[in-house]
Amino acid sequence: MMTRFNQLPTLRIDPTKKVIFNYKGKSCAGSEGDTVATALYANGVRVFARSLKYHRPRGLYSLDGECSNTCMEVDGIPNVRTENTLAKQGMEVKEQNVKGSAENDMMAFIDKLDWMMPAGFYYRTMHKPASMWPVAMKQIRKAAGLGVMSPDHVTPGKFDEIFPRTDVVVIGGGPAGMQAALAAADKGVRVIIMESRPWLGGFFDYRAAEYSKGKPLYSRARELAEKVEAHPGIRVLKHTSMVGAYSNNLVTGFQIGGEGDSFTERYVEIRANAVVVAVGCIERPLIFDNNERPGVMQVACAHRLARTYGILAGEKALFSVGHDLGLEAAIDLYDLGMKIACVADIREDGQNPELLLELAKRNIPVLKGWVVTKAHGSKQVKKATIATIDGTITRDFNCNVIVASAGFTPITGPLTLAGAKLRYDSHTNFFIPETLPEKTHIAGRMTGLEDSMAIEASGTLAGIKAAMDSLACTCCGSESASEGDSEGDSKEKSSSSSCCEACDDAALKAAEEALKALPGPSRGTKLVTAPVKGRKSFICFDEDTTIKNIKQAIEMGFDVPELIKRFTSAGTGPGQGGIPGHNLPLFVAKYEALSGVPAPVRPTTVRPPLVPTLIATYAGTNHIMMKRTPMDEMQRSDGGIFRKIGVWERARYFSDDFECKAEIENVRNNVGMLDGSTLGKFRIHGPDALKALQRVYTSDMSKIKPGRVKYSAMCNDDGCVIDDGVVIKIAENDYYFTTSTGRAGQTVEWVRYHTRYDGWDFNMVNLTDSMGVINLSGPNARKVLQKITDEDVSNEAFPFSAYKEFMVKDTIPVKAMRLGFVGELSYEFHVPSSYMVSLWNMLKEAGKEFGIKNFGVEAQNVLRMEKCHIILGQESEQRTNLLDLGLGFLWDRKKTDAKTVGAVALAQAEKDQTRFRLVGFKMENNGRAPKDGSLIVDDKVRGYICTARDSFSLNEAVGMALVESHMAKIGTRLEIFEDECGDQRIYGKVVPMPFYDPDGSRMKS
Amino acid sequence: MVEIRRYSPVSFKASAKRSEVRDNWKVVLEYEGEGKGPHLVDLSHMTRLDVQDANVGAITPFGVTIPEVPGESVLKDNVLINRMNRIQASVFCLDGHKPEIPKESAYTETTEVGMCLAIIGKEVFSILEKLSSLDFTDPARKAPFLFQGPMSHVPCQIITLSKDGAKSGVLFTASRGYGKDMVHAIMDAGAEFGLKPAGEEKFSSWIASL
Repeated sequence: MMTRFNQLPTLRIDPTKKVIFNYKGKSCAGSEGDTVATALYANGVRVFARSLKYHRPRGLYSLDGECSNTCMEVDGIPNVRTENTLAKQGMEVKEQNVKGSAENDMMAFIDKLDWMMPAGFYYRTMHKPASMWPVAMKQIRKAAGLGVMSPDHVTPGKFDEIFPRTDVVVIGGGPAGMQAALAAADKGVRVIIMESRPWLGGFFDYRAAEYSKGKPLYSRARELAEKVEAHPGIRVLKHTSMVGAYSNNLVTGFQIGGEGDSFTERYVEIRANAVVVAVGCIERPLIFDNNERPGVMQVACAHRLARTYGILAGEKALFSVGHDLGLEAAIDLYDLGMKIACVADIREDGQNPELLLELAKRNIPVLKGWVVTKAHGSKQVKKATIATIDGTITRDFNCNVIVASAGFTPITGPLTLAGAKLRYDSHTNFFIPETLPEKTHIAGRMTGLEDSMAIEASGTLAGIKAAMDSLACTCCGSESASEGDSEGDSKEKSSSSSCCEACDDAALKAAEEALKALPGPSRGTKLVTAPVKGRKSFICFDEDTTIKNIKQAIEMGFDVPELIKRFTSAGTGPGQGGIPGHNLPLFVAKYEALSGVPAPVRPTTVRPPLVPTLIATYAGTNHIMMKRTPMDEMQRSDGGIFRKIGVWERARYFSDDFECKAEIENVRNNVGMLDGSTLGKFRIHGPDALKALQRVYTSDMSKIKPGRVKYSAMCNDDGCVIDDGVVIKIAENDYYFTTSTGRAGQTVEWVRYHTRYDGWDFNMVNLTDSMGVINLSGPNARKVLQKITDEDVSNEAFPFSAYKEFMVKDTIPVKAMRLGFVGELSYEFHVPSSYMVSLWNMLKEAGKEFGIKNFGVEAQNVLRMEKCHIILGQESEQRTNLLDLGLGFLWDRKKTDAKTVGAVALAQAEKDQTRFRLVGFKMENNGRAPKDGSLIVDDKVRGYICTARDSFSLNEAVGMALVESHMAKIGTRLEIFEDECGDQRIYGKVVPMPFYDPDGSRMKS
Repeated sequence: MVEIRRYSPVSFKASAKRSEVRDNWKVVLEYEGEGKGPHLVDLSHMTRLDVQDANVGAITPFGVTIPEVPGESVLKDNVLINRMNRIQASVFCLDGHKPEIPKESAYTETTEVGMCLAIIGKEVFSILEKLSSLDFTDPARKAPFLFQGPMSHVPCQIITLSKDGAKSGVLFTASRGYGKDMVHAIMDAGAEFGLKPAGEEKFSSWIASL
């Protein structure tokens, strides 16, 4: 293990606390605060992984997870970005995508076969012959890929979610972000600041350069961080990466839990009134031969490795940079003990003279207008070749680290996701927003600023603007001062406009003036590639895409970066385009311009998640929210087997016999009890309640008689049946009605929608959950009921289709209906839900001597099918109208008082002979029942099976089907095509309905 | 002989320390180990009413005027009234005893329609932000106020009764059928804050302090 700095004031590790984890089966020690990659680096690991396609050795490059170089398997999870995953005690870390080890990978020979794999080779070679593709795919997957995960892998940890609301959300906890948060919070609004690293500070955090006299930048970072964290109006979400941005300032992200947090990771969904994006820049990778060889790293990577983690990246480094931060890093790393072979600066001029002076003081040679062209060394850098940017003169330097960076590029992903359109800015060589989405502001380095004071000032300005976006004017009702701004100045306001916080633009103007007085955006370097041919110069590390591949794609006619991205896969790996990022469009534009075909410079599209995370994080707590009836617990203890039906969990079976023979026979011969509580139940009252019922039901609802139940149906405007149920008149202008389970949630809106222009005075209350429902069915049902009530329930006093209200034991109010859905003597009791268990138990006790048993939804399904009673959704689909189902008798054609929903369509459909008809059928030769949904065919599809079962009551297979009307005639032979039946068909015959108790004597007696 | 009882749609994994039977409900007054909070209280037995009328503003349930603006609530003499929309208000009778239900047809008793729970304690809004994206801490809203929106993806009526530090608390209703899963989701969300079930007395003393 190498010696580490343990006294630097910038350290984010605690060298006194050790973290021990396993790496390839051996114990490895890091310090608290180390990432897995920095701990491994401190232990001498330089080759972390092998690349996707060519199995090239890969090492630490960005330290911010911009590429897959350090993706490893951690605790069984592949593709973990170890450079920004904190090391924890006992972690199991393994290499991935290697045969042997990352250091000695037997698949490394593929690197020599790159000539066989030009751009898009798999698109062009793997489709002919088609039979070859599955074989080739299997082999390719064995050789390539990034990690393996078992399909039944359960991600360990606790995954949580929060949905905070705020006035201003600041994305980025660097100097600009922190200043924005403070400025906004000082205006009195609520602020959330998100920072992807575990601490605030951004690019000030690790730098020892002077901020102001005697104060280094890292001290300034900590000073600001303390202020932010102490501010009561600011909520700090550290270790929180943004992953998405959506309309109305909805920002999503995920937070990684730390010591003491109750979660491993949590999904964060923030709704804000205004957004400040201050995410800064990343370094634009410098492209040269072997630019991804272990030992090549970005400036901030080498600098942070030393300053944040106490590790010098190597003994001797060569710098090839295009910005002053590179010079600053070279000076600082030299002072920390690293030898600097040379600083090759892409820029011919424009360097900060003070930094040049400091480099000269240290005898570090600076070559202006030079660039690194090749890294030498098979598994790690041993030497670097540099050249003038025109490639005419070259020099070699021995070194084991190459610190390389072409320049900076703003992290525009958050803006693009928020809807900003980007344009190329030739001064900064940045893609900057042409317009910003409403109430979105940007600040900091991403605007091209490099001066520390200017960066902070831009944050203050953005924070004030965002706060003003959030504040409601309490004085003049005017628009906020920043409303409508893009990047520029605020509107001029009247001199009296400081009457409330929302209108007080004095602070805004002061912030604008302060920013104007400071240095503006700096000139950016334009170089993308060193003067190389590009066979081993990688523009995308994740997908092993070289400059040569890009040229090949362009030469094949792919002329825009978006297409080239897809054809070459550049930017589609786990780094989410971090490395190719803006280099790809810049290179394409430059190359095409050289070819004489200038093209507009446009970045490729980014999509969420900007930062990859676990699917488990998106799943969050994943509580299953289902409705349960009041009888749920008791039915489970009675052996109920439950299934999800819509929003409900219902007991479908009461034994392992899913044909439900015992349940069905018990209802037919004794008595059974079904929990029907999921039915929709409603009260509608008011002077115009009847008019509303007339509108939505097909029947004449004015004919509802007191003490009687009226069955009817609702159709949509196409005459298709959407619901059926019963209606009871409980008082003048006061009705109680039921709907099917699936329609309960939409019924109030349905009725309101279809009466929206009438101005009728009626009220509706959804009582679905309020009333439990017990269906008591079977020849012994009356005997059971008689035992719990003094009410006369004889057939004369309580006949079929009658309705009664009574009290059980003077306590439980019951609405009782005499119905017959299952074709037997049946009662439906509607009971206050809290009393359901008590009434159920009373019936159970009373029915003991009559053999009472539970029956479930499947038994009910068979019982009612035998009786040819329909269930909407089972015997109907979206196109099935009332007439198709043979329910035309429910449509009252004489209603004059109201227009009935669907009546016009039904009148037309009545003359249409081409529609489907519902028919009953039996199977030929006492055959088995076909599967539900099977097709009725001849030379075409002629219909389908709705429900069919082997009936125990009838001792034969029966069912209902929707068929073309010419096949509805009794005796028609039905040819049935079942799923995966091949050439085998089964046959049935259309028969009269209902199959069971055709005269209804059992349910009416 | 079956004992006639009314059952709440929710139950807690906690032992009742003291309870009483009221209108056939078993009302838990105090649970073992309630702790210092935050607390989750089952109020499903408390009478709730729906009031609907074209001129709902003219109705004064239990002598309390219905707020004019939808989303506003009023709490007076243990009667909480929430204006839902142009024609509708919900009424919560929070003294724990069944009142005489007004006879007018505008009223529908909705006690049985939903579960009713209260979450009280200073961490209430930290718990709620794990369950809902509604803006309970919006400085522009003065408690008590009503949200009709989702909590744990379930449509709810949520009334913020106080945003005042340790006195913070909300009361909410949702369809009765969601009772079990909703309690599970809330207790899970509140686990990191030490959320514990509490009896009716905790709620009564809290609401008296508002």
